[in-house]
Amino acid sequence: MPEHLTASLLIALIGGIVDLDSTATWQFMISQPIVAAPLTGLFLGNMFGEAAVGLKLGLMVGTILQLMWIEQLPLGMNVPPDAALASVLSVALGFIAGRGYESYSEREVCYTVALLLAVALGLLGRSLDMFVRRLNTSIDTWVCQKVEDNQLWAIAFGHTMGGVFTFTKAFIFCFLVVWLGVEPLKYFTSTLSFKHASGFIVVQGLLPVVGFSVLASMCVKDRQEMRWLIGGIIIFTLLPAKIWLGIGVALLVLYRSGWRRSVK
Amino acid sequence: MRILPRFMLAKIAFRSFFLQSSWNYRGMMNMGFLYAISPGLDRLHEPGPAREAAYLRHLEYFNTNPYFSSIVMGVTLALEERLSHGEITEDIIHDTKEGLMTACAAIGDGLFWDSWRPFVAAAALTFAFGNYLLTPLIFLVLYNLPHLYFRFFGIYWGYREGTHIIRSLRRFQFPQIRQSLRYGTIVLLAYLIPNHVNVHTPFLLTNLPLEYFYFGEKVVQGIGALLLVALGTMAYRARIDVLLISFLLMVFALVLCHWGILI
Repeated sequence: MPEHLTASLLIALIGGIVDLDSTATWQFMISQPIVAAPLTGLFLGNMFGEAAVGLKLGLMVGTILQLMWIEQLPLGMNVPPDAALASVLSVALGFIAGRGYESYSEREVCYTVALLLAVALGLLGRSLDMFVRRLNTSIDTWVCQKVEDNQLWAIAFGHTMGGVFTFTKAFIFCFLVVWLGVEPLKYFTSTLSFKHASGFIVVQGLLPVVGFSVLASMCVKDRQEMRWLIGGIIIFTLLPAKIWLGIGVALLVLYRSGWRRSVK
Repeated sequence: MRILPRFMLAKIAFRSFFLQSSWNYRGMMNMGFLYAISPGLDRLHEPGPAREAAYLRHLEYFNTNPYFSSIVMGVTLALEERLSHGEITEDIIHDTKEGLMTACAAIGDGLFWDSWRPFVAAAALTFAFGNYLLTPLIFLVLYNLPHLYFRFFGIYWGYREGTHIIRSLRRFQFPQIRQSLRYGTIVLLAYLIPNHVNVHTPFLLTNLPLEYFYFGEKVVQGIGALLLVALGTMAYRARIDVLLISFLLMVFALVLCHWGILI
């Protein structure tokens, strides 16, 4: 079997399993980018005999996507962009297309372009997710009719079909994107001049800002806490970071133990 | 005398992992809920109209936090057992389930989605930025400890305590836990922002003596990161979409790089 076809099938399988975890089953959070991307990198890298490279790429991609979509959650009717599929596809496209380049900078640019492309694919994944939910609604109506006719087996069948739809959707989507997407990505990367290329590396270094902004919006509730955050940033800027991280954690523990005493 | 054995409750807790497989716009998690508790219903109700009525009862709308769903399942089965003994009516099951699923959704979403996940993600990111290869494993283990705790113990509590479960949940003091997690995330964020946003400019190399270069680089990076995060936070609070913010940041970086201000 050709190497590219095998890789596409492997990614499709990983995509299917990881997408099941995002809402349909388990919710162990294997689908979170910080897990899904390194996992994909590890399996793909192992296949090509470059496990460490794949894992490191996965960590880089996972870190950025985790931050970008940290506040996106499947709550109630809300269907967020498919961060799980975006993580898997970003690593897959970046790794397979990036293997064709010799220089570090070209590979890094390829990884960044794959990352940006995967963000758009995550939005497409959301539309597919909504389509599966509409299919499930039809199944639900069918199951209700069957149960009214005292055919209780329909519950297990209808419920299982929901999982099958989710897996199949992710499997086909990942397979097609990897199977067809690597060559266009290679072509696009090779058309970029060096000046553009280094710009993409700068973009990669700045992208965590988005996630940090979202996280700050979620956690900081008033002006007092904002001052604490800015003070913390100044301290961590001026002094060796790890020492202050230790002190921060120690203060948190002290605060928690103080709170326990006040409860008692 | 309780009818459902521990093994069956464990089986139902295991089935609750598949709660959202058939998530749909009409009943949301209804099929998943019924699929999970169906072994219990089969044990409690004889085949025939009673069992059929129980199945239809639980095909109605259901939506809660998936990690707290096993608590609702336990309480529902305790009430179904009382119904099978003729102690209560169907309406009590309906009302209790509806009230409990709303309460569990509020507690579970606030705890897991709003506090625990961002905290664990921020903790994992501190390892990930250091290229620590076991980061995914740390994230998974840390995140799933409370998840599995509530999944498996929740069903026993719910079944044992019935409607008194809300009183038992209160002893966890979830608001305080959430606040501590939020403070923890702020500490981690204060560490991550100045250390892991890459703002490098060529001017320092040409204008600063070499002995001050490292310090100057750190200060520029810290101030740059702080300003960018402040702008990003304002944009996010002004309800600008995350993807649009990312796109604007990308354009900003490419332009500054083109002018030679950033490298």
